[in-house]
Amino acid sequence: MSYLSAEKAESELAQSIKKATSIEETAPKQKHVRKCIVYTWDHRTSAIIWNILKVQPVLSDEVQTFKSLITVHKIIKDGHPNVIKDALRETGWLETCARSVSGEGVRGYGTLIRQYVDLLLHKLQYHRGHPEFNGTFDYEEYISLKNIDDPNEGFETINDLMVLQDRIDRFQKVVFASFRMHSNNECRIASLVPLVEESYGIYKFITSMLRAMHKRTDAADALQPLRQKFNTQHYNLLKFYYECSNLRYLTSLIKVPNLSPDPPSLIDAATPTLP
Amino acid sequence: MSGKGVVRSIKNYAKGFSDIQIKVREATSNDAWGPSGTLMNEIAQATYNQQDFIEVMDMIDRRLNDKGKNWRHVFKALLLLDYCIHVGSENVVLYAKENLYVVKTLKEFQHIDDGGKDVGANVRQKAKDITSLLLDDARLNEERHKRTQMKDRMTAVGDY
Repeated sequence: MSYLSAEKAESELAQSIKKATSIEETAPKQKHVRKCIVYTWDHRTSAIIWNILKVQPVLSDEVQTFKSLITVHKIIKDGHPNVIKDALRETGWLETCARSVSGEGVRGYGTLIRQYVDLLLHKLQYHRGHPEFNGTFDYEEYISLKNIDDPNEGFETINDLMVLQDRIDRFQKVVFASFRMHSNNECRIASLVPLVEESYGIYKFITSMLRAMHKRTDAADALQPLRQKFNTQHYNLLKFYYECSNLRYLTSLIKVPNLSPDPPSLIDAATPTLP
Repeated sequence: MSGKGVVRSIKNYAKGFSDIQIKVREATSNDAWGPSGTLMNEIAQATYNQQDFIEVMDMIDRRLNDKGKNWRHVFKALLLLDYCIHVGSENVVLYAKENLYVVKTLKEFQHIDDGGKDVGANVRQKAKDITSLLLDDARLNEERHKRTQMKDRMTAVGDY
């Protein structure tokens, strides 16, 4: 609910975006990002956020560009569902971000920015193909019900999700590889926050959906490749979360999920549900 | 009345807040102690009145969106919201679900106070609790039911 006039809300939003994407090499402050997210729910649109982003001089500085990408990612993830539709129209801006920095950049954000844009474009592409998902990939039962009625579509959905999961895994490795000595790396770590949450959302989704499909169809053999892939991704995530749990800045912000050392069984429904 | 209390009552008067809004402001003030049970109960009962309900929710909403320095406003507004979800009118639950994003986005609330202590952790935990409660209809109904039962038992005592 909003008790501000439209112009006031707009100018406050511009302030928040400006502060979230400031030039300091720190994490975008959550309070500013939150303002943007709340705005998208209050007004059911994010069009103006993109307009503001485009007039801010964020592309002239690689830290600012990177912080904008983190902010955009969080808004897409937690904002109103309409944000995804808006973002799909703004892929051109994302591509411009990737082109704005040449080579490694002065402060070493070049690769990070290009890989981040790659990931975001892929994520948006996924949403284009599967509009029934929200930004966080919350497991909603009706989706699993919808897809196990049509095993082919379910297979496709899981497969695509797994590709996205692989992309996230690839990007988190780039982030870890970019860490520098003699620096708290806060700005780089900040990009891991939405990644941890998103990858866990996807993980839970895949687990639930694969279980449902195993229950519905008898063709356990046909699902063998998915099971294999699932196990590989489980170990990848385990490693990713383990590395994250050593970053004090990150664990002070979010709770890093605790996966079991071995992948959970997909066939035996008696295994405990995920936390 | 302490100095801060005086300032608050002047503000209440100057901004023309209603009685119920003053109560919400008092319950979610910057004082270092939690809101009293009696006060929270009064506010929760007021949500059964349509006009008061809007005023209570509006004020809680403002408190939730307060800045980091006023983290106690945010934290206590969450406490009060939690309480109202449990014993307030059904409208509170509907409203809270509709505006879940306000609470949900507080899960990453951050504030380090002057002593270098991370006081945001309380807010983050409470926001997580409320979010998971609101998403779990079965648990929500059960908890609300339990509270009503308890209240009935307690009032029955006085009848003897």
